[in-house]
Amino acid sequence: MKTRLIMILMLTATLLGACATTREMSIHDAWIRPSTMGNNSAAYFIIENGTGMDDTLLSVDSDIASATEVHLSMVMDGGVMSMQQQESVPVPTSEKVEFKPGGLHVMFVGLTQDLKVGDTITLTLNFENAGTRIVEVPIREP
Amino acid sequence: MNRKLSYTLLLYIAGILAITTVVVVLLQKPYTFHGTVLNPPLPVTDFTLQTGEGETFSLSAARGRFVLLFFGYTSCPDVCPTTLAELRQVSENLGDDARNIQVVMVTADPERDTPEKMKAYVAHFDPNFIGVSGNLADLESLWEELGVFVEKEDTGSAAGYLVSHTSSVYVLDRNGDLILMFPYGTSAADIASDLSELLKQTEQ
Repeated sequence: MKTRLIMILMLTATLLGACATTREMSIHDAWIRPSTMGNNSAAYFIIENGTGMDDTLLSVDSDIASATEVHLSMVMDGGVMSMQQQESVPVPTSEKVEFKPGGLHVMFVGLTQDLKVGDTITLTLNFENAGTRIVEVPIREP
Repeated sequence: MNRKLSYTLLLYIAGILAITTVVVVLLQKPYTFHGTVLNPPLPVTDFTLQTGEGETFSLSAARGRFVLLFFGYTSCPDVCPTTLAELRQVSENLGDDARNIQVVMVTADPERDTPEKMKAYVAHFDPNFIGVSGNLADLESLWEELGVFVEKEDTGSAAGYLVSHTSSVYVLDRNGDLILMFPYGTSAADIASDLSELLKQTEQ
């Protein structure tokens, strides 16, 4: 009897655990480019929306720069690269939104510290529905 | 030796010859460049720009080496560092051959990028890279000659204005003529492979 109860409890816990991982706003493969104080840098990651609800990334905060913004690099005609600041980024349910070089990125304007390879920084992502997510971001070369 | 055996031998030899011919022809197939080749190469007017305090870089001073020109600006957080990191990878891939190439980043933002700033910026990627700035007229004539588009954009970013710019890498041959262009996103391996081929073709 006791064994059966334990087994049921374990099973329930496993199922709940599985639910938790699939019903999450997950942010993974994050990294930030090394740079030096006073200069700019960029961070990249993959957002996977497993919440079952469409969401929107409203802003990103950090305490390593005087401003933290979301930008999109785009190749225009003739190989001209242009960058546009994004007010927000839609993160549809069950979809992956990839921040990557030459595309979406978090831009740090006026770093207040050096970014040395091997260190990590903390980023706060603010979603409309999922709320706040805090991510530890390693500083590394691409 | 009977007749049948000598026929077999003949066929065997003919077969080997045929295979050898195919292999030789295949091996001699001309190399296909990943970048866009300019044939004939386009002569580029010599220019002199500033790098660091009182130091200059002239295209003519790099004669005998291949020059990889790239246009960007130091406040650029994404595309410019991506390209410079890739060019560092190219140098690493080339190994000893890297001494025959010179990477030069030319600013697209002389208003904010001083020669000192350019020099310090590229040094973070590779101490052998050269970063240059200069007066607007000198830069504009180089941009114009190579068809480089540069435009300031006000996007409301805390970075002030951003600069839209051509993101290709321009390869100038040992005489300083434009011979090859790589669009943004060409892999370091492909760039290194093209450069190895050019170096091989023009061995001195």
